[in-house]
Amino acid sequence: MGFSFLAPIFFAGLAALAIPIIVHLTHRERKDAIPFPSLMFVRRIPYKTHRRQKIRHWLLFLMRSLAVVLVVAAFARPLMDDDGAAARSFAGAREVVVLLDRSHSMAYGDHWSEALGAARRAISGLGPDDRATLVVFAEQAEAITRSTADRTLLNAALDGVEVGAGVTRYGPAIQLAREIVERSERPRSEVFLVTDFQRSGWDARQAVSLPEGTTLTYVDVSDADASNLAVTGAAVARSRNGGRESAIVSAQVANLSTESLDGIGVALVVDGEPVQTLSASLDAGESAALRFAPFVLPRRPVRAVVRAGEDALPGDNEFRFVVEPNDPISVLIVEPRNASADHSLYLRRAFEIGGQPGFDLDVIRIARLSGEDLDGRALVILNDAPFPGGAIGERLRELVNEGGGLLTILGRRSPPGAWSADGMEFLPVAFGGPLDRSSGGGGTLSYLDYEHPVFELFKTPRSGDFSSARFFRYRRMEGAESARVLARFDDGSAALAEGRRGAGAVLVWATDFENFWNDLAVQPVFLPYVHQLAKYLSGYVEPQLWYRVGNVVDLSDKMVLGGDDADAEAEILVERPSGEPSVLRLTEESRFLQLNEVGFHRVGYVDNDGDRAYVAAANLDPRESDLAAIDPDEMVGAVTSGGDPEARALQAVVLSPEDRERRQNLWWYLLAGAATLLLLETLISNWLSRATPARQKG
Amino acid sequence: MKISSFLDPEVLARIDNLELLARTVVDGFINGLHRSPYLGLSIDFAEYRPYMPGDDIRRIDWRVFGRTDRFYVKEFEADTNTNFVVLLDISRSMDYASHGISKLDYARYLTACLAYFSRQQRDRVGLVTFDEKIVDIVPPSAKHLDVVLHTVDRIQPGGKGELEAPLLKVAEAIKRRSILALVSDLYHDPQEVLRAVSYFKNKGNDILVFHVLDPAEIDFPFDGAAHFQDLESGEKMPVVPELQREEYRALMKAHLDDLTRLLVENRMDYFLFDTSKPLDYALFSYLSRREKLSRSRVR
Repeated sequence: MGFSFLAPIFFAGLAALAIPIIVHLTHRERKDAIPFPSLMFVRRIPYKTHRRQKIRHWLLFLMRSLAVVLVVAAFARPLMDDDGAAARSFAGAREVVVLLDRSHSMAYGDHWSEALGAARRAISGLGPDDRATLVVFAEQAEAITRSTADRTLLNAALDGVEVGAGVTRYGPAIQLAREIVERSERPRSEVFLVTDFQRSGWDARQAVSLPEGTTLTYVDVSDADASNLAVTGAAVARSRNGGRESAIVSAQVANLSTESLDGIGVALVVDGEPVQTLSASLDAGESAALRFAPFVLPRRPVRAVVRAGEDALPGDNEFRFVVEPNDPISVLIVEPRNASADHSLYLRRAFEIGGQPGFDLDVIRIARLSGEDLDGRALVILNDAPFPGGAIGERLRELVNEGGGLLTILGRRSPPGAWSADGMEFLPVAFGGPLDRSSGGGGTLSYLDYEHPVFELFKTPRSGDFSSARFFRYRRMEGAESARVLARFDDGSAALAEGRRGAGAVLVWATDFENFWNDLAVQPVFLPYVHQLAKYLSGYVEPQLWYRVGNVVDLSDKMVLGGDDADAEAEILVERPSGEPSVLRLTEESRFLQLNEVGFHRVGYVDNDGDRAYVAAANLDPRESDLAAIDPDEMVGAVTSGGDPEARALQAVVLSPEDRERRQNLWWYLLAGAATLLLLETLISNWLSRATPARQKG
Repeated sequence: MKISSFLDPEVLARIDNLELLARTVVDGFINGLHRSPYLGLSIDFAEYRPYMPGDDIRRIDWRVFGRTDRFYVKEFEADTNTNFVVLLDISRSMDYASHGISKLDYARYLTACLAYFSRQQRDRVGLVTFDEKIVDIVPPSAKHLDVVLHTVDRIQPGGKGELEAPLLKVAEAIKRRSILALVSDLYHDPQEVLRAVSYFKNKGNDILVFHVLDPAEIDFPFDGAAHFQDLESGEKMPVVPELQREEYRALMKAHLDDLTRLLVENRMDYFLFDTSKPLDYALFSYLSRREKLSRSRVR
């Protein structure tokens, strides 16, 4: 590297160097007289004028000389003129993208402060012709500044960035950086990635990469010895005893460290009151489910938190959830007139088991059925009984139309003739006589609509085997166009058909649940199948215990603000875990509330007394708790295309010396240095002058 | 300036220790600083002298009469109550300081310390301040320590300095034999200085000369050509210190040597005080010299 000068003629100004030399060599009298007690002796010495023979105050002399040299050099307009300098000059015109990871894992220890420091260094390293964009990312990436050369703006934007609650995803960030770089006209591009390189955030299958020639510089703030304890989930089991509902909380605690942890205190806190604290010991990488003692649920939703230990990432040491009291599903089984005492034995046993939800079951013969018996029912099962006629039948229709459910079981006591025309019309399908399959060992269910809520539970392998059940007789059903067949026997005839009636649904099962026409009732799948039928028909919705940060709550959902009762255009008050409450108007577009913060979110009508408020607990994604890091070079290798950015920079147009000098602005630094030297020289010379021992005491 | 600042306990504590040493070496604490020029009633025998009419016949030593057949009277050294007078030069040249403390302030402290010591010895303490004339007089008295200290406190720098004329007037005013301490920067010809103090010596007084100088007056450490202004006359002179320093130092040294030689030859104590040195250090040096001198006289 060397220097050249655009105006070397100014070096004639170096003759000015003679000025400090003359100043230092010539006699210079003080302006003020020095008081002295007596000139008795001085008077006897003959006065001598003199010219200094040697330079005094070498430091001052050198400072003055150097200042003159710097000023002259500045006027000569210096510039660096070698290839490297040209490249660096060209490198000044960079498009820089600073990718700053603000996922929750960056809150670990001092990672965030390190990351901010690295980002500031990247900003301060911008050249005069560089432009930069600040991008923050977690699961999504967002450019919080436009491409700018204003460092103040960039630093101000950086000041406003905080660690979020999201998970790390590198794909969107890299993609956004790519788009910014591609839009830029700068000849060189550079991406600064400041992150902890969480392994969970990188999916090598994502084909994201930076444009060719883009340099990726990374700052790794990860800690190889990071230890983290996290509560990754919670489950609530329920039981009923004497009409009181109890909750049994199980929490999943994971030791995501390289060392085992002993004596971890795991506490359950309900509505701010500690309920129980358990102690756990976990080996490195181990997780365990801890089960707390049951506690009685009040008749209102309660906010529960499971807390485990303390570490450098406290955000995932708590897991929040909401436990709502569960009203049992009211089920009425209607039996035929001549039914035996055990006619509904299997159904009764099925409904007696399970508390989530519980079932409030009544069994009645159709001859004794009255309209009052139907009041408040969520589900009515006609267990081989005909559709009631008259006012009772009308009441049953109303119940279904208003959202209730009707399950019709067509066994041996349900010949088509026993059904009235009105009742038959209410069914989605028409049915006929029984089909005997006993000669061939019985039929099987060959088709199940796993997309339907009734069978969705059995979708995954080994989660319910219907094929082992044998069906010896069943009634042939002929479906109407409005009917949806949910299950079929191996001969293609419908086994379970559904029809919507108003807000409710009617299901027709083509055989019995008595272990007479089939052996389904003694198969393991019977119990969950009956429960699924009941839940679906009664409109039961599993209460959402918790959400993940980033999940969306549908405010129009029945469980949230009353579903169909939700008032359109109503004002909704949203209280987030931090910050002031906000009010939003419920419209079709704005009915989704995204949970961006960890904690409890309360949603309710502004003009409501709070009875219909809904509380949603948002927790961190457990992926963010795993601080294991990938090798940064692995990501860099996958993201960069291996081009030679330096070479690309050099391919650009060669700048003229004037342009290079103007870009480098070296004269400015030289003048600033000269001014600094002269200021120091003034201070030092004044100090030396004051240090001269000549003071008269007044 | 407060009186308490004159009587710095730390300074006095160190001097006290030295006086204890002097008492064991010479003849007692009270005589450590001076020996009384008066002879009178005491327990310490001094000399015999012939009986003169008017003498108390009880003081005739009859044993000597028995051996010599002549009347001799026994005389003893007095152990108390001499006059101690500080002659303080307050001329304008004393108001000079190249560092923290001026010569005049230094002389004030020195005067205060000397007066205090003398009072400790039950001497009568007096003070005379002068420049070209006498400015203030505090007659010696056993009760005048406070007056002396207050007078020292009120001192303002005077005008042009003179030595011979004011000291002659003082010598005429002093009737009783005293110890006189001259504190000055002595910017006078050494012969003139000797003449001035000889007025006192010739009348039997004991003379201590304390020469107070600023270190800059001795070393002339100035840098850079400048006009120097005489503090007393206001006269200005161009000076190039780098060229004149050595000659100045030689002249100053010759001046100091002459003063030392002339005063010592005339049995007067002379001490040079550098205002850059601590006052207690200077007093310590002074008393050490007194001690050594006393030893040599004893031998």
